Amino acid sequence: MSPAQAERLRGLALGGLGIALFLGTWEVVGRERLLGLSWPALSDVLALLLNPARWPLYQRALSASLAALGLGYAAGLGAGLGTALLAHAARPLRPGLETLAAVIHAIPAIALAPVMILLLGREVTPAALAGLATFFIIYVSASSGLGAAAPVLHDLIRVLGGGRVARLWRVELPAALPVLGSGLRMAAPAALIGVLIGEWFGAPRGLGVLIINAMQNFQIPLLWSAVLLAVLVSLVLYGLLGLVQHALARRFR
Amino acid sequence: MSAALRLWGAFRRLWGVIALLLGWQVAVEWSGVNSIVMPGPLGALRDIVAAPGLYLAATGQTLWLAAAGLVLGMALGTGMAVLTWLSRLLGGLLTPLGLVFASVPVVALIPVLARLFGYDTRTVLAIVSIISFFPSFVFTGSGLRALPPGSDDLFRVLGASRWARLRLLAGPAALPDWTVALRLAGANAILAAMLAEFLMGSGGLGEIFHAARADLDMNRALGASAIATVVSVLCFLGASRLEQAARRRWG
Repeated sequence: MSPAQAERLRGLALGGLGIALFLGTWEVVGRERLLGLSWPALSDVLALLLNPARWPLYQRALSASLAALGLGYAAGLGAGLGTALLAHAARPLRPGLETLAAVIHAIPAIALAPVMILLLGREVTPAALAGLATFFIIYVSASSGLGAAAPVLHDLIRVLGGGRVARLWRVELPAALPVLGSGLRMAAPAALIGVLIGEWFGAPRGLGVLIINAMQNFQIPLLWSAVLLAVLVSLVLYGLLGLVQHALARRFR
Repeated sequence: MSAALRLWGAFRRLWGVIALLLGWQVAVEWSGVNSIVMPGPLGALRDIVAAPGLYLAATGQTLWLAAAGLVLGMALGTGMAVLTWLSRLLGGLLTPLGLVFASVPVVALIPVLARLFGYDTRTVLAIVSIISFFPSFVFTGSGLRALPPGSDDLFRVLGASRWARLRLLAGPAALPDWTVALRLAGANAILAAMLAEFLMGSGGLGEIFHAARADLDMNRALGASAIATVVSVLCFLGASRLEQAARRRWG
């Protein structure tokens, strides 16, 4: 075994041990009631999560949240890319668009949620908040990616007789894809937070509704299992989009 | 002449926001519906001017909690990152865990933390600290390890102690990354504090918002969110300035 391999193995073993210690502490604190009744043991939370009688409940909540997430993510992706292209094509508009995007991003989601419920209705609000969160991250990464191409390549396109469209299509868009990839990845947890907050304001169903109801009714294991489910969804999405990011980075770098 | 130029520069930066606010106000006037159904920017502004004391006290409380939580969380995260840098064992144990937590939607943990610590002002502080902890831990940790090539070997060859390498090499190298964490955590701290106050009804801007919504006083609800927005944007801009300065000095 080479030293580098041994080092990697050591890192994996230590990392695994760290996570195991964390989970073990969680279990012991819950078993021994060290932090009171509000901290359930990991095994209780997992048992509830894996209890087939509860699956229809989780499934209803999860499918509503994922549908909102997908819709919002797609809309935010389209709007973010469109705005970044607009800002790229029309330079004078750029500083204003940037400030607008930053301000929209800074408006607290809890402040937007009620306005959106009035304007769009309770059903669409989670998707709309997810869309806004996605929009900002995609806009920022796409606009910095579009400026990332080496100026030499611009000259090359001009020498070969290509216009602005050719430059955009053959140089700037491919150069933007790796940066956009990390934006795609970071937008997923942000969009999920948007969905959850949107649901806290009274969507008919979803993971956020499950969480807030369990919190208010003191159903502690259900609260933790719903939060754990949300965390797992976020990690899975983050991991999957990480693969997309790697593929884009390898192909277009 | 220069005043006109400066005005033009400001307009170029702000036209989007101005158009949004104008369009909104015009839509409110046009639709002619009650402010309960559709509050406008002018109504919110009027409400802030009418009750400055109420807003000031609430903003003070939220700002104080957010700042204290931010300082606490950043200090803990930075300290933990330095510890993992000093000890390979701790570093190996904690880094993967930190990476997992950094990609978790921490806002989803607020209900759990609220139940755990009780519906209290201190809980808001704990929530803001925990939310600020993760970026500072992750960014400081990666900054401490991103050293200019060869510099670490030079320090070792010259017989520098671990402490000297931290103080003279890794510490300054980590400062630009640390300010990135501050920028991310600073803007989020206000919003997290307000969200926690809203969910628990424990004073500050979040509770004003909660109470105003229950009374259907949408102008006041909007006023509270407008203040949180402005404060959050100012934090973000201030931290961006700091980050640029740190990059120039230590980047």
